[in-house]
Amino acid sequence: MEAILNINGLSKRYGKVKALNNLSLQINRGDIYGILGPNGSGKTTTLGILLGVLNADSGSYSWNGKAPSKYDRKNIGSLIETPNFYPYLTARQNLSIVCKVKEVDESEVDSVLSIVDLINRADSKFKTFSLGMKQRLAIASALLGNPETLVLDEPTNGLDPQGIAEIRTIILDLAKEGKTIIMASHILDEVEKTCTHVAVLKLGNLLTYGPIQSVLNNQEQIVVASENLDGLKLTLSQIDGVSNIQQVGNKLSLMLATGKDSSYLNKSLFDKGIILSEISIQKPDLEANFLELIK
Amino acid sequence: MLDLLKIEYKKLIPYSTFWVIFGLFFLFTPIVFYGFGQVKIDAFPIDFATMYKFPNVWNNITYIASWFNLLIGMLLVILICNEFSFKTYRQQVIDGHSKADFIISKILLMSSFSLLSTLYLFIIGFFFGSFSGGEAPFLTDIKYLLIYFIQSLGYMSLGLIMAVLIRSSALSIILFICSIFVESIIRLLVPDNLAQFFPMKIISNLTPFPSPGGVQVANMNGVITEAISLNTTLIIAIIYIFSFWGISYVILTKKDIN
Repeated sequence: MEAILNINGLSKRYGKVKALNNLSLQINRGDIYGILGPNGSGKTTTLGILLGVLNADSGSYSWNGKAPSKYDRKNIGSLIETPNFYPYLTARQNLSIVCKVKEVDESEVDSVLSIVDLINRADSKFKTFSLGMKQRLAIASALLGNPETLVLDEPTNGLDPQGIAEIRTIILDLAKEGKTIIMASHILDEVEKTCTHVAVLKLGNLLTYGPIQSVLNNQEQIVVASENLDGLKLTLSQIDGVSNIQQVGNKLSLMLATGKDSSYLNKSLFDKGIILSEISIQKPDLEANFLELIK
Repeated sequence: MLDLLKIEYKKLIPYSTFWVIFGLFFLFTPIVFYGFGQVKIDAFPIDFATMYKFPNVWNNITYIASWFNLLIGMLLVILICNEFSFKTYRQQVIDGHSKADFIISKILLMSSFSLLSTLYLFIIGFFFGSFSGGEAPFLTDIKYLLIYFIQSLGYMSLGLIMAVLIRSSALSIILFICSIFVESIIRLLVPDNLAQFFPMKIISNLTPFPSPGGVQVANMNGVITEAISLNTTLIIAIIYIFSFWGISYVILTKKDIN
Protein backbone atom coordinates (compact mmCIF):
# COMPACT_ATOMS: atom_id res chain seq x y z
CA MET A 1 0.00 0.00 0.00
CA GLU A 2 1.12 3.46 -0.85
CA ALA A 3 1.72 5.83 2.06
CA ILE A 4 0.06 9.23 1.67
CA LEU A 5 1.26 10.52 5.00
CA ASN A 6 4.18 9.57 7.21
CA ILE A 7 4.46 11.00 10.70
CA ASN A 8 7.71 10.46 12.59
CA GLY A 9 7.99 11.31 16.25
CA LEU A 10 6.03 14.57 16.30
CA SER A 11 6.05 16.39 19.64
CA LYS A 12 4.58 19.70 20.67
CA ARG A 13 4.38 21.53 23.98
CA TYR A 14 2.28 24.49 25.06
CA GLY A 15 4.28 25.79 27.98
CA LYS A 16 4.26 23.01 30.54
CA VAL A 17 1.53 21.02 28.83
CA LYS A 18 2.69 18.30 26.50
CA ALA A 19 0.08 18.43 23.76
CA LEU A 20 1.64 15.77 21.58
CA ASN A 21 4.24 13.23 22.58
CA ASN A 22 6.36 11.48 19.97
CA LEU A 23 3.53 10.59 17.58
CA SER A 24 4.35 8.28 14.68
CA LEU A 25 1.76 7.06 12.23
CA GLN A 26 1.44 6.01 8.60
CA ILE A 27 -1.67 6.65 6.57
CA ASN A 28 -2.14 4.90 3.24
CA ARG A 29 -3.97 5.88 0.09
CA GLY A 30 -7.70 5.14 0.33
CA ASP A 31 -7.79 4.91 4.14
CA ILE A 32 -10.53 6.64 6.05
CA TYR A 33 -8.44 7.27 9.10
CA GLY A 34 -10.12 8.37 12.29
CA ILE A 35 -8.10 10.12 14.96
CA LEU A 36 -10.08 9.50 18.08
CA GLY A 37 -9.62 10.87 21.54
CA PRO A 38 -11.23 12.95 24.23
CA ASN A 39 -10.95 16.74 24.19
CA GLY A 40 -7.38 17.85 24.78
CA SER A 41 -5.86 14.61 23.51
CA GLY A 42 -3.83 16.29 20.75
CA LYS A 43 -6.02 15.65 17.69
CA THR A 44 -6.29 19.25 16.55
CA THR A 45 -2.65 19.86 17.42
CA THR A 46 -1.68 16.96 15.17
CA LEU A 47 -3.77 18.22 12.25
CA GLY A 48 -2.53 21.79 12.83
CA ILE A 49 1.07 20.64 12.46
CA LEU A 50 0.28 18.55 9.38
CA LEU A 51 -1.36 21.59 7.75
CA GLY A 52 1.43 24.04 8.47
CA VAL A 53 -0.30 26.27 11.02
CA LEU A 54 1.51 24.97 14.10
CA ASN A 55 5.25 24.53 14.47
CA ALA A 56 6.24 21.14 15.91
CA ASP A 57 8.91 21.14 18.62
CA SER A 58 10.46 17.98 17.21
CA GLY A 59 9.75 15.21 14.74
CA SER A 60 8.82 15.35 11.09
CA TYR A 61 6.10 14.46 8.63
CA SER A 62 5.83 14.07 4.89
CA TRP A 63 2.95 14.10 2.45
CA ASN A 64 3.46 11.72 -0.48
CA GLY A 65 7.02 11.13 0.66
CA LYS A 66 8.13 14.71 0.10
CA ALA A 67 9.25 17.36 2.58
CA PRO A 68 6.30 19.55 3.60
CA SER A 69 5.58 22.60 1.45
CA LYS A 70 2.69 24.89 0.68
CA TYR A 71 2.16 22.97 -2.58
CA ASP A 72 1.03 19.81 -0.74
CA ARG A 73 -1.55 21.87 1.07
CA LYS A 74 -2.99 23.18 -2.21
CA ASN A 75 -3.90 19.55 -3.00
CA ILE A 76 -5.44 18.74 0.38
CA GLY A 77 -9.01 19.66 1.20
CA SER A 78 -9.21 20.75 4.82
CA LEU A 79 -11.90 21.55 7.28
CA ILE A 80 -10.46 22.46 10.65
CA GLU A 81 -12.75 23.17 13.62
CA THR A 82 -14.80 26.21 12.65
CA PRO A 83 -15.42 27.42 9.10
CA ASN A 84 -13.22 30.45 8.40
CA PHE A 85 -14.52 32.90 5.82
CA TYR A 86 -14.91 36.66 5.34
CA PRO A 87 -18.30 37.47 6.90
CA TYR A 88 -18.97 40.41 4.57
CA LEU A 89 -18.33 38.41 1.38
CA THR A 90 -20.84 36.11 -0.31
CA ALA A 91 -20.38 32.35 -0.49
CA ARG A 92 -19.28 32.67 -4.10
CA GLN A 93 -16.82 35.50 -3.40
CA ASN A 94 -15.34 33.54 -0.50
CA LEU A 95 -14.85 30.42 -2.59
CA SER A 96 -13.38 32.41 -5.43
CA ILE A 97 -10.64 33.58 -3.02
CA VAL A 98 -10.00 29.95 -2.02
CA CYS A 99 -9.73 29.05 -5.73
CA LYS A 100 -7.05 31.70 -6.18
CA VAL A 101 -5.12 30.46 -3.15
CA LYS A 102 -5.33 26.82 -4.24
CA GLU A 103 -4.67 27.74 -7.88
CA VAL A 104 -7.89 26.04 -8.94
CA ASP A 105 -10.08 27.16 -11.82
CA GLU A 106 -12.94 29.34 -10.58
CA SER A 107 -15.45 27.45 -12.70
CA GLU A 108 -15.47 24.79 -9.95
CA VAL A 109 -17.20 27.11 -7.49
CA ASP A 110 -20.73 26.42 -8.74
CA SER A 111 -20.29 22.66 -8.85
CA VAL A 112 -19.02 22.38 -5.27
CA LEU A 113 -21.81 24.68 -4.09
CA SER A 114 -24.28 22.30 -5.74
CA ILE A 115 -22.74 19.28 -4.02
CA VAL A 116 -23.37 20.80 -0.59
CA ASP A 117 -26.74 22.19 -1.67
CA LEU A 118 -25.88 25.86 -1.25
CA ILE A 119 -26.19 26.95 -4.85
CA ASN A 120 -29.38 28.96 -4.14
CA ARG A 121 -27.55 30.89 -1.46
CA ALA A 122 -24.36 31.43 -3.50
CA ASP A 123 -24.80 35.21 -3.47
CA SER A 124 -25.77 35.58 0.17
CA LYS A 125 -23.23 36.94 2.58
CA PHE A 126 -21.45 34.42 4.78
CA LYS A 127 -22.56 36.20 7.96
CA THR A 128 -26.21 35.48 7.12
CA PHE A 129 -25.61 31.71 7.10
CA SER A 130 -26.72 29.31 9.81
CA LEU A 131 -24.07 27.15 11.48
CA GLY A 132 -25.02 24.17 9.32
CA MET A 133 -24.73 26.23 6.15
CA LYS A 134 -21.36 27.60 7.25
CA GLN A 135 -20.14 24.08 7.84
CA ARG A 136 -21.44 22.98 4.42
CA LEU A 137 -19.68 25.93 2.79
CA ALA A 138 -16.48 24.83 4.51
CA ILE A 139 -16.95 21.36 3.02
CA ALA A 140 -17.56 22.90 -0.39
CA SER A 141 -14.33 24.82 0.03
CA ALA A 142 -12.48 21.63 0.97
CA LEU A 143 -13.75 20.00 -2.23
CA LEU A 144 -12.33 22.68 -4.55
CA GLY A 145 -9.69 21.26 -6.85
CA ASN A 146 -11.03 17.73 -6.32
CA PRO A 147 -8.25 16.86 -3.83
CA GLU A 148 -7.11 13.26 -3.33
CA THR A 149 -6.82 13.79 0.41
CA LEU A 150 -9.23 15.39 2.84
CA VAL A 151 -8.42 16.43 6.39
CA LEU A 152 -11.48 16.98 8.55
CA ASP A 153 -11.45 18.09 12.17
CA GLU A 154 -14.69 17.49 14.04
CA PRO A 155 -16.67 17.92 10.82
CA THR A 156 -20.05 17.59 12.51
CA ASN A 157 -19.26 19.76 15.50
CA GLY A 158 -22.21 21.87 16.59
CA LEU A 159 -24.58 20.59 13.92
CA ASP A 160 -28.13 19.39 14.49
CA PRO A 161 -28.93 15.71 13.80
CA GLN A 162 -30.05 16.44 10.25
CA GLY A 163 -26.87 18.40 9.56
CA ILE A 164 -24.78 15.60 11.02
CA ALA A 165 -26.49 13.06 8.77
CA GLU A 166 -25.95 15.28 5.70
CA ILE A 167 -22.26 15.77 6.42
CA ARG A 168 -21.83 12.05 7.01
CA THR A 169 -23.46 11.21 3.68
CA ILE A 170 -21.10 13.60 1.93
CA ILE A 171 -18.07 12.05 3.66
CA LEU A 172 -19.17 8.50 2.80
CA ASP A 173 -19.77 9.50 -0.83
CA LEU A 174 -16.26 10.92 -0.99
CA ALA A 175 -14.88 7.75 0.56
CA LYS A 176 -16.58 5.73 -2.16
CA GLU A 177 -14.67 7.76 -4.76
CA GLY A 178 -11.48 6.37 -3.22
CA LYS A 179 -10.29 9.53 -1.54
CA THR A 180 -8.06 9.36 1.50
CA ILE A 181 -9.79 10.94 4.46
CA ILE A 182 -8.16 11.84 7.77
CA MET A 183 -10.76 12.73 10.34
CA ALA A 184 -10.36 13.82 13.94
CA SER A 185 -13.27 13.30 16.24
CA HIS A 186 -14.18 12.81 19.85
CA ILE A 187 -17.44 11.17 18.82
CA LEU A 188 -16.95 7.45 18.72
CA ASP A 189 -20.14 6.83 16.81
CA GLU A 190 -18.98 9.12 14.02
CA VAL A 191 -15.65 7.34 13.66
CA GLU A 192 -17.27 3.93 13.82
CA LYS A 193 -19.77 4.80 11.08
CA THR A 194 -17.26 6.27 8.66
CA CYS A 195 -13.71 5.10 9.27
CA THR A 196 -11.70 2.09 8.13
CA HIS A 197 -8.79 2.76 10.46
CA VAL A 198 -8.44 4.50 13.75
CA ALA A 199 -5.71 5.89 15.99
CA VAL A 200 -6.60 6.58 19.60
CA LEU A 201 -4.90 9.49 21.36
CA LYS A 202 -4.93 10.42 25.00
CA LEU A 203 -3.07 13.39 26.50
CA GLY A 204 -0.84 13.52 23.46
CA ASN A 205 0.11 9.85 23.52
CA LEU A 206 -0.83 7.34 20.86
CA LEU A 207 -2.58 4.52 22.73
CA THR A 208 -3.35 2.19 19.87
CA TYR A 209 -3.95 2.23 16.14
CA GLY A 210 -4.94 -0.03 13.27
CA PRO A 211 -8.03 -1.26 11.38
CA ILE A 212 -11.13 -0.24 13.26
CA GLN A 213 -12.35 -3.81 14.01
CA SER A 214 -9.11 -4.80 15.68
CA VAL A 215 -8.80 -1.62 17.71
CA LEU A 216 -12.35 -1.27 18.94
CA ASN A 217 -13.15 -4.97 18.96
CA ASN A 218 -16.55 -4.40 17.47
CA GLN A 219 -17.44 -8.06 17.09
CA GLU A 220 -21.03 -9.00 17.86
CA GLN A 221 -21.78 -10.75 21.08
CA ILE A 222 -24.31 -13.53 21.50
CA VAL A 223 -26.25 -13.77 24.72
CA VAL A 224 -27.79 -17.10 25.67
CA ALA A 225 -29.72 -18.38 28.66
CA SER A 226 -30.99 -21.79 29.76
CA GLU A 227 -32.56 -23.49 32.79
CA ASN A 228 -29.31 -25.31 33.39
CA LEU A 229 -26.71 -22.52 33.31
CA ASP A 230 -23.75 -24.66 34.46
CA GLY A 231 -24.49 -27.32 31.86
CA LEU A 232 -24.79 -24.63 29.22
CA LYS A 233 -21.44 -23.15 30.20
CA LEU A 234 -19.72 -26.53 30.04
CA THR A 235 -21.28 -27.45 26.70
CA LEU A 236 -20.47 -24.07 25.16
CA SER A 237 -16.79 -24.49 25.92
CA GLN A 238 -16.84 -27.71 23.88
CA ILE A 239 -18.35 -26.10 20.77
CA ASP A 240 -15.98 -25.17 17.97
CA GLY A 241 -15.71 -21.39 17.30
CA VAL A 242 -17.03 -20.18 20.64
CA SER A 243 -14.84 -17.88 22.69
CA ASN A 244 -14.96 -15.31 25.43
CA ILE A 245 -17.68 -16.92 27.48
CA GLN A 246 -18.73 -14.64 30.30
CA GLN A 247 -21.51 -14.80 32.80
CA VAL A 248 -23.74 -11.74 32.91
CA GLY A 249 -26.34 -12.14 35.62
CA ASN A 250 -28.18 -15.37 34.85
CA LYS A 251 -27.18 -15.28 31.17
CA LEU A 252 -23.99 -16.04 29.30
CA SER A 253 -22.37 -13.87 26.67
CA LEU A 254 -19.96 -15.23 24.10
CA MET A 255 -18.34 -14.48 20.78
CA LEU A 256 -18.47 -16.56 17.65
CA ALA A 257 -15.67 -17.01 15.14
CA THR A 258 -16.33 -15.41 11.75
CA GLY A 259 -18.45 -17.63 9.52
CA LYS A 260 -20.43 -19.07 12.44
CA ASP A 261 -23.82 -17.61 13.28
CA SER A 262 -26.47 -17.90 15.96
CA SER A 263 -28.39 -20.69 14.21
CA TYR A 264 -25.18 -22.76 14.10
CA LEU A 265 -24.83 -22.22 17.83
CA ASN A 266 -28.45 -23.06 18.55
CA LYS A 267 -28.24 -26.25 16.51
CA SER A 268 -24.96 -27.36 18.12
CA LEU A 269 -26.40 -26.89 21.60
CA PHE A 270 -29.64 -28.66 20.70
CA ASP A 271 -27.63 -31.62 19.37
CA LYS A 272 -25.86 -31.80 22.74
CA GLY A 273 -29.15 -31.78 24.58
CA ILE A 274 -29.26 -28.18 25.75
CA ILE A 275 -32.48 -26.25 25.18
CA LEU A 276 -32.03 -22.49 25.16
CA SER A 277 -34.63 -20.29 26.85
CA GLU A 278 -33.17 -17.22 25.17
CA ILE A 279 -30.74 -16.40 22.40
CA SER A 280 -30.03 -12.86 21.19
CA ILE A 281 -27.42 -10.98 19.27
CA GLN A 282 -25.98 -7.90 20.91
CA LYS A 283 -24.32 -5.06 19.09
CA PRO A 284 -20.90 -4.46 20.63
CA ASP A 285 -20.66 -1.75 23.24
CA LEU A 286 -18.02 0.36 21.51
CA GLU A 287 -18.51 3.12 23.99
CA ALA A 288 -17.45 0.79 26.79
CA ASN A 289 -14.48 -0.44 24.77
CA PHE A 290 -13.41 3.07 24.04
CA LEU A 291 -13.76 4.25 27.61
CA GLU A 292 -11.79 1.20 28.72
CA LEU A 293 -9.10 2.12 26.21
CA ILE A 294 -8.64 5.72 27.31
CA LYS A 295 -8.93 5.04 31.05
CA MET B 1 3.07 38.14 -7.04
CA LEU B 2 0.34 39.82 -9.05
CA ASP B 3 -2.00 36.98 -8.08
CA LEU B 4 -1.41 37.76 -4.42
CA LEU B 5 -2.43 41.38 -5.02
CA LYS B 6 -5.50 40.24 -6.96
CA ILE B 7 -6.58 38.14 -3.97
CA GLU B 8 -6.14 41.16 -1.70
CA TYR B 9 -8.42 43.27 -3.90
CA LYS B 10 -11.03 40.49 -4.06
CA LYS B 11 -11.24 40.83 -0.28
CA LEU B 12 -11.09 44.63 -0.37
CA ILE B 13 -13.51 45.84 -3.02
CA PRO B 14 -16.68 44.60 -1.28
CA TYR B 15 -15.39 45.89 2.09
CA SER B 16 -17.13 49.15 2.98
CA THR B 17 -14.52 50.38 5.51
CA PHE B 18 -11.99 50.57 2.67
CA TRP B 19 -14.26 52.90 0.69
CA VAL B 20 -15.10 55.03 3.72
CA ILE B 21 -11.47 55.59 4.74
CA PHE B 22 -10.19 56.28 1.24
CA GLY B 23 -13.28 58.45 0.66
CA LEU B 24 -12.38 60.53 3.73
CA PHE B 25 -8.79 60.86 2.53
CA PHE B 26 -9.86 61.86 -0.97
CA LEU B 27 -12.36 64.36 0.40
CA PHE B 28 -10.40 65.94 3.23
CA THR B 29 -6.99 66.39 1.62
CA PRO B 30 -8.06 68.98 -0.99
CA ILE B 31 -10.51 70.67 1.41
CA VAL B 32 -7.92 71.07 4.16
CA PHE B 33 -5.29 72.11 1.61
CA TYR B 34 -7.60 74.74 0.16
CA GLY B 35 -8.74 75.83 3.62
CA PHE B 36 -5.19 76.45 4.82
CA GLY B 37 -4.60 78.89 2.01
CA GLN B 38 -7.72 80.82 3.02
CA VAL B 39 -7.30 80.89 6.80
CA LYS B 40 -3.61 81.91 6.67
CA ILE B 41 -2.50 81.09 10.22
CA ASP B 42 0.45 83.39 11.00
CA ALA B 43 2.39 80.89 13.07
CA PHE B 44 2.67 78.52 10.12
CA PRO B 45 5.90 78.99 8.18
CA ILE B 46 4.13 78.59 4.88
CA ASP B 47 4.41 81.22 2.17
CA PHE B 48 0.68 81.55 1.61
CA ALA B 49 1.19 83.71 -1.50
CA THR B 50 2.86 80.86 -3.40
CA MET B 51 1.17 78.01 -1.54
CA TYR B 52 -0.80 76.65 -4.50
CA LYS B 53 1.81 77.52 -7.16
CA PHE B 54 4.44 75.31 -8.77
CA PRO B 55 6.85 74.23 -7.39
CA ASN B 56 5.79 74.90 -3.76
CA VAL B 57 2.49 73.11 -4.25
CA TRP B 58 4.25 69.70 -4.15
CA ASN B 59 5.90 70.28 -0.78
CA ASN B 60 2.73 71.82 0.64
CA ILE B 61 0.22 69.25 -0.57
CA THR B 62 2.35 66.32 0.62
CA TYR B 63 2.85 68.04 3.98
CA ILE B 64 -0.90 68.46 4.45
CA ALA B 65 -1.64 64.96 3.15
CA SER B 66 0.89 63.44 5.55
CA TRP B 67 -1.50 64.27 8.41
CA PHE B 68 -3.87 61.71 6.93
CA ASN B 69 -1.24 58.97 6.74
CA LEU B 70 -2.46 57.68 10.08
CA LEU B 71 -5.90 57.21 8.58
CA ILE B 72 -4.62 54.94 5.82
CA GLY B 73 -2.30 53.28 8.34
CA MET B 74 -5.34 52.46 10.49
CA LEU B 75 -7.12 50.97 7.49
CA LEU B 76 -4.15 48.67 6.90
CA VAL B 77 -4.08 47.67 10.59
CA ILE B 78 -7.82 46.87 10.45
CA LEU B 79 -7.42 44.81 7.28
CA ILE B 80 -4.56 42.74 8.72
CA CYS B 81 -6.21 42.24 12.11
CA ASN B 82 -9.38 41.10 10.28
CA GLU B 83 -7.36 38.23 8.82
CA PHE B 84 -6.53 37.14 12.36
CA SER B 85 -9.98 37.63 13.86
CA PHE B 86 -11.82 36.00 10.93
CA LYS B 87 -9.13 33.25 11.07
CA THR B 88 -8.78 33.65 7.32
CA TYR B 89 -4.99 33.94 7.64
CA ARG B 90 -5.01 30.49 9.20
CA GLN B 91 -7.39 29.21 6.53
CA GLN B 92 -5.22 30.55 3.71
CA VAL B 93 -2.13 28.91 5.15
CA ILE B 94 -4.09 25.65 5.39
CA ASP B 95 -5.27 26.11 1.80
CA GLY B 96 -1.75 26.57 0.48
CA HIS B 97 -0.23 29.97 1.21
CA SER B 98 3.04 30.28 3.08
CA LYS B 99 3.61 32.77 5.88
CA ALA B 100 5.85 34.66 3.48
CA ASP B 101 2.95 34.87 1.02
CA PHE B 102 0.91 36.56 3.73
CA ILE B 103 3.55 39.22 4.42
CA ILE B 104 4.20 39.76 0.70
CA SER B 105 0.45 40.20 0.12
CA LYS B 106 0.27 42.86 2.79
CA ILE B 107 3.38 44.64 1.48
CA LEU B 108 1.88 44.67 -2.01
CA LEU B 109 -1.38 45.93 -0.55
CA MET B 110 0.24 48.81 1.34
CA SER B 111 2.37 49.70 -1.68
CA SER B 112 -0.79 49.89 -3.77
CA PHE B 113 -2.37 52.16 -1.12
CA SER B 114 0.69 54.41 -1.21
CA LEU B 115 0.61 54.47 -4.98
CA LEU B 116 -3.09 55.29 -5.01
CA SER B 117 -2.76 58.19 -2.59
CA THR B 118 0.39 59.50 -4.30
CA LEU B 119 -1.37 59.49 -7.68
CA TYR B 120 -4.29 61.31 -6.11
CA LEU B 121 -1.95 63.97 -4.67
CA PHE B 122 -0.39 64.32 -8.10
CA ILE B 123 -3.82 65.07 -9.57
CA ILE B 124 -4.78 67.49 -6.76
CA GLY B 125 -1.38 69.22 -6.88
CA PHE B 126 -1.51 69.49 -10.64
CA PHE B 127 -5.02 70.92 -10.44
CA PHE B 128 -4.11 73.58 -7.84
CA GLY B 129 -0.82 74.37 -9.59
CA SER B 130 -2.42 74.77 -13.01
CA PHE B 131 -5.03 77.19 -11.70
CA SER B 132 -2.56 79.25 -9.70
CA GLY B 133 0.32 79.26 -12.14
CA GLY B 134 3.86 79.72 -10.91
CA GLU B 135 7.31 80.37 -12.21
CA ALA B 136 8.53 76.78 -12.41
CA PRO B 137 7.49 73.97 -14.75
CA PHE B 138 5.24 71.51 -12.93
CA LEU B 139 7.87 68.77 -12.74
CA THR B 140 10.15 70.87 -10.54
CA ASP B 141 10.32 69.45 -7.00
CA ILE B 142 7.97 66.62 -7.95
CA LYS B 143 10.37 64.46 -5.89
CA TYR B 144 8.16 65.38 -2.92
CA LEU B 145 5.59 62.95 -4.30
CA LEU B 146 8.13 60.12 -4.30
CA ILE B 147 9.14 61.05 -0.76
CA TYR B 148 5.50 61.12 0.29
CA PHE B 149 5.11 57.63 -1.21
CA ILE B 150 7.95 56.35 0.98
CA GLN B 151 6.57 58.13 4.02
CA SER B 152 3.15 56.60 3.67
CA LEU B 153 4.81 53.16 3.28
CA GLY B 154 6.72 53.92 6.47
CA TYR B 155 3.60 54.55 8.56
CA MET B 156 1.87 51.49 7.15
CA SER B 157 4.95 49.33 7.80
CA LEU B 158 4.79 50.35 11.45
CA GLY B 159 1.10 49.42 11.33
CA LEU B 160 2.05 46.01 9.89
CA ILE B 161 4.31 45.24 12.86
CA MET B 162 1.67 46.35 15.36
CA ALA B 163 -0.97 44.22 13.63
CA VAL B 164 1.07 41.00 13.41
CA LEU B 165 2.30 41.47 16.96
CA ILE B 166 -1.00 42.29 18.66
CA ARG B 167 -3.58 40.81 16.28
CA SER B 168 -6.54 42.69 17.72
CA SER B 169 -7.78 45.71 15.73
CA ALA B 170 -8.64 48.04 18.57
CA LEU B 171 -5.49 47.40 20.56
CA SER B 172 -3.23 47.56 17.50
CA ILE B 173 -4.66 50.91 16.43
CA ILE B 174 -4.20 52.35 19.92
CA LEU B 175 -0.61 51.12 20.06
CA PHE B 176 0.04 52.27 16.50
CA ILE B 177 -0.91 55.83 17.44
CA CYS B 178 0.63 55.68 20.92
CA SER B 179 3.97 54.45 19.59
CA ILE B 180 4.26 57.64 17.55
CA PHE B 181 3.61 59.84 20.61
CA VAL B 182 5.66 57.69 22.96
CA GLU B 183 8.60 57.93 20.59
CA SER B 184 8.35 61.70 20.56
CA ILE B 185 8.47 61.73 24.37
CA ILE B 186 11.47 59.40 24.43
CA ARG B 187 13.17 61.68 21.92
CA LEU B 188 12.97 64.55 24.41
CA LEU B 189 14.98 62.46 26.87
CA VAL B 190 17.86 61.63 24.53
CA PRO B 191 20.37 63.98 22.89
CA ASP B 192 19.14 65.63 19.70
CA ASN B 193 21.80 64.11 17.46
CA LEU B 194 20.54 60.67 18.50
CA ALA B 195 16.83 61.59 18.59
CA GLN B 196 16.80 62.65 14.98
CA PHE B 197 17.51 59.06 13.88
CA PHE B 198 14.46 57.59 15.64
CA PRO B 199 12.21 55.80 13.14
CA MET B 200 9.08 57.93 13.48
CA LYS B 201 11.15 61.10 13.47
CA ILE B 202 12.84 60.03 10.26
CA ILE B 203 9.58 59.02 8.64
CA SER B 204 7.70 62.16 9.64
CA ASN B 205 10.59 64.34 8.45
CA LEU B 206 10.09 63.03 4.94
CA THR B 207 7.41 65.62 4.40
CA PRO B 208 9.22 68.54 5.99
CA PHE B 209 7.64 71.67 7.33
CA PRO B 210 7.36 73.86 4.28
CA SER B 211 8.90 77.29 4.80
CA PRO B 212 9.56 80.28 2.60
CA GLY B 213 13.27 79.86 3.08
CA GLY B 214 13.31 76.50 1.41
CA VAL B 215 13.55 73.10 3.01
CA GLN B 216 14.36 73.24 6.67
CA VAL B 217 13.68 70.64 9.26
CA ALA B 218 12.06 71.64 12.49
CA ASN B 219 11.46 69.45 15.49
CA MET B 220 8.26 69.20 17.51
CA ASN B 221 8.88 72.55 19.21
CA GLY B 222 9.55 74.30 15.95
CA VAL B 223 13.21 74.73 16.87
CA ILE B 224 15.37 74.28 13.84
CA THR B 225 18.08 71.77 14.60
CA GLU B 226 21.04 70.69 12.61
CA ALA B 227 19.13 68.79 9.99
CA ILE B 228 19.93 65.56 8.22
CA SER B 229 19.58 66.13 4.50
CA LEU B 230 16.38 64.96 2.86
CA ASN B 231 18.25 62.39 0.78
CA THR B 232 19.87 60.84 3.85
CA THR B 233 16.51 60.86 5.62
CA LEU B 234 15.03 59.04 2.63
CA ILE B 235 17.69 56.35 2.68
CA ILE B 236 17.38 55.81 6.44
CA ALA B 237 13.59 55.66 6.09
CA ILE B 238 13.86 52.96 3.42
CA ILE B 239 16.18 50.96 5.68
CA TYR B 240 13.63 51.27 8.50
CA ILE B 241 10.82 50.13 6.21
CA PHE B 242 12.70 47.02 5.11
CA SER B 243 13.53 46.24 8.75
CA PHE B 244 9.86 46.57 9.73
CA TRP B 245 8.93 44.10 6.99
CA GLY B 246 11.65 41.68 8.10
CA ILE B 247 10.67 41.91 11.77
CA SER B 248 7.01 41.29 10.88
CA TYR B 249 7.99 38.18 8.93
CA VAL B 250 10.10 36.85 11.81
CA ILE B 251 7.22 37.47 14.27
CA LEU B 252 4.87 35.48 12.01
CA THR B 253 7.20 32.52 11.51
CA LYS B 254 7.89 32.19 15.25
CA LYS B 255 4.24 32.23 16.22
CA ASP B 256 1.77 29.39 15.89
CA ILE B 257 -1.41 30.22 14.03
CA ASN B 258 -4.30 29.71 16.40
